[in-house]
Amino acid sequence: MRTFIAFTIALLVVVSGFTPTFAQGGRGTAPAATAPSPPAEPRDLQGVWMMRNPPGSNRGFTNYTFTDPKADPPALTKWGEDQFKLAKDSNGGNYRLDETNDPVLTKCFPPGTPRVYFHPYPFEIVQTPKEVLQIFEYDHFMRRIKTDGRKLPEDPDQLWMGTSVGRWEGNEFVVETVGFNTRTWLDRIGHAHSEKLKVTERFRRKDRDHLELDFTLEDPIALAKPWKATFFYELRPNWELGEISCSGDYQDFTKKEKGEK
Amino acid sequence: MTRRLAFLACVVVALVLTTVPALAHHGGAAFDQGKTVTFDATVTELEFANPHVLVYWTVKDGPAAGQMWSGWLTAPNKLQRAGWTKKTLSAGDHIVVSGNPHKDGNHVLQIRKLVGPDGKDLPLFEQ
Repeated sequence: MRTFIAFTIALLVVVSGFTPTFAQGGRGTAPAATAPSPPAEPRDLQGVWMMRNPPGSNRGFTNYTFTDPKADPPALTKWGEDQFKLAKDSNGGNYRLDETNDPVLTKCFPPGTPRVYFHPYPFEIVQTPKEVLQIFEYDHFMRRIKTDGRKLPEDPDQLWMGTSVGRWEGNEFVVETVGFNTRTWLDRIGHAHSEKLKVTERFRRKDRDHLELDFTLEDPIALAKPWKATFFYELRPNWELGEISCSGDYQDFTKKEKGEK
Repeated sequence: MTRRLAFLACVVVALVLTTVPALAHHGGAAFDQGKTVTFDATVTELEFANPHVLVYWTVKDGPAAGQMWSGWLTAPNKLQRAGWTKKTLSAGDHIVVSGNPHKDGNHVLQIRKLVGPDGKDLPLFEQ
């Protein structure tokens, strides 16, 4: 018996060294961002950025939706509520891969704007004279944010990532995006949107290592009032974006989840 | 006797760890987040591919000795940024691996802790 107790204690000591580490892709807490850094040119947004919550902030929901689903859920229309009830998300443990109706996981559809921000991978910003390129590591999706002074299209094509124009207001880079198809979710838990969705983002480079990003989502069909949130990103100067392909790789994984090769 | 005690100890540890928060991932519902099992194992293959790196192993001893298992890690890009390469683990390497087992009893684990051949924890996430 003494041996048993000793062995159990030893095993507990070993296992207690294991701190549950959350995938940045889920309902967990991502590593906290670092302290303030030296100043930087505020109109230079270039570099590789990774979502990180501010020090002391426990905002695990930022890995899958814009606001705390219990404390601060979005104001949905009746249509929005009905659509949300149909969602079977598999990103937080509610449904298995073979049960979910998540359009990314079941069909490898592009996540679209703004859901692409919830994939737990970095994005890179490249600024050129006429456009700002936002390259997301997740599946290489790229937004071309036109900065040549053009207006948003009045009758936009329905695209996965939408059509974006950007302008500087002081030291904030303001991006407006319209023209979406309706095959994407707004987030990873299944909030729906219509083709009337408009996404406004305000990028602020706070210092060398920190970027803040305000979101305002407007959709008269899905949202009873604008859905607003601020997310926080941290510069990763030594990271390079790698290859990720949903097609094939992800769909095969439903079998691997069960141990089938 | 030793094997039985070891098994009992594993059960006790699993019960103690029932408060482990859910590992958040797509497909996480397939795994018993309230249960953690640990294997002393020999690697048979490392599949360094999207969307999740997979480790395959044979259990060395205990009640599951000889069983073939696989386990999920995060994406290869993330592991590379944490210092991994496709050669971090090779067939024949000794590992101690812990994680949440599949609810249906399939020999699949969501890996939560992985001790490599040199006895040190392998990083499971980028910073």
